Amino acid sequence: MTKQYFGFSVLEQRSVNLDSEMPAELESLYQKEPSLRACIACGNCAAVCSAGHFAEMQFYRLNVMARRGLLHEMVGKAAACMLCGRCQMSCPRGVNIRHAVLMMSQL
Amino acid sequence: MTKQKVAIIGAGPAGLQSAVSLAELGYEVDLYEKKSRPGGHLAEWHVLFPDMQPAGELLDSLMQKVLAHPQIRLETGVNISGLERAGNSWQLIQSDSVRGEADAVVLASGFKLFEASKKEEYGHGIYPAVISSAELEAIFNREKEWPFEKTNKSPKIGLVHCVGSRDAKCGNLYCSKACCITAVKQAIELKKTFPASEVYCFYMDMRMFGLGYEELYHKAQLDYKVHFIRGRLSEASPSGAGRIQVKAEDTLMGRPLKLTLDMLVLMVGMTASVSPEVKENTVELKEYANKGEFVKIPGAVIGAAQWLKPGLFVAGACKGPATLPEVLNDARATALDLRNYLSGVL
Ligand code: SF4
Ligand code: SF4
Ligand code: SF4
Repeated sequence: MTKQYFGFSVLEQRSVNLDSEMPAELESLYQKEPSLRACIACGNCAAVCSAGHFAEMQFYRLNVMARRGLLHEMVGKAAACMLCGRCQMSCPRGVNIRHAVLMMSQL
Repeated sequence: MTKQKVAIIGAGPAGLQSAVSLAELGYEVDLYEKKSRPGGHLAEWHVLFPDMQPAGELLDSLMQKVLAHPQIRLETGVNISGLERAGNSWQLIQSDSVRGEADAVVLASGFKLFEASKKEEYGHGIYPAVISSAELEAIFNREKEWPFEKTNKSPKIGLVHCVGSRDAKCGNLYCSKACCITAVKQAIELKKTFPASEVYCFYMDMRMFGLGYEELYHKAQLDYKVHFIRGRLSEASPSGAGRIQVKAEDTLMGRPLKLTLDMLVLMVGMTASVSPEVKENTVELKEYANKGEFVKIPGAVIGAAQWLKPGLFVAGACKGPATLPEVLNDARATALDLRNYLSGVL
């Protein structure tokens, strides 16, 4: 007999599992750029992003991936950044984005 | 001429501040409290947002003013169940007999906290690791034990926003206003108590409207490393050794998320406590029984007097969710309206 789920089950393959150990590099990323923690995912950085015209570049999403420990996904996407700095000029939380992306892409 | 008298129903922050303001304006004040002690929810809180001032300090300073004022008479354990108009004054009814009489009345009956167990999918009252935000305050006040082992110095703790608020399923469409900032405050207190802990806030929106709130949120992120996850918790289930597994949609990732916790705190909202039934010459003060509404003041937005009937004023959070500074200011404003009424201006 198949197991009956009541209501809400989580699809294992797609799910974010916060019980798994966070990668050690995450802490060093935060140490190199503490302002990453101040992001509120407003999306401004993505809306003004120069690279966003050509590639899938949404900085705040990289940051969310980092927070969830999905560093592999994050590093791959960070490569699209051209380090132009437009995002940083518009960030309401003063996140040092250009430096942060550089650190992300070098992890 | 004898001094005019005002009766106040409820000795929480709204009632206490009304009493002080009215006594300072020269009135005799009878202050009635249903419970055995004054202070309302303030008496059960630990520290206050956003300045982390001990709640006891504020209550003590209010109580000192109340007790020091010769014109204020405080009576606890008195349940005023209704009012009756008698000429130009109001009679206060306690179980069918007249308890007192006053020229004007202030209803300051406050709010009730949402009963967390009504939100069944979170398992409050079933799993000991699931507690309400009020119970967490009791733990901070050392009136209650942590629901996990004393040896656990790095607990994982989740805080769920909007429990019983913004939720048509609970019949409460409104936002309770104070619980987002309470969650931020409690998250910081938790990190101060257990620096090695991980604290996760599950929010729908961060409603940081007050002075100093957004700054505290920023501090929680940057200095205390509190995690904020946007998504409403779908359920909490037991996961062995008294721990709790929670599931939610991580809406920023667009993926489902799961997490096992040592403690889950439900940020319960505010609900109505007393629903007055207003008739021609009587007002029945009914206890909120599942379906009650906050006291509605017609025209309140355009600055009309905060009263239900001539001489019957309403102050504080019994009109709807409010923060402490709002409640205290409302009590002062109500006192002025009341003076205008009694001196024939209003
Ligand atoms: S603009 Fe700043 S705060 Fe907004 S999402 Fe980007 S990094 Fe975060
Ligand atoms: S610095 Fe990178 S992320 Fe920021 S706007 Fe330029 S390309 Fe986009
Ligand atoms: S203040 Fe925050 S937690 Fe409370 S009901 Fe409003 S949005 Fe929800």
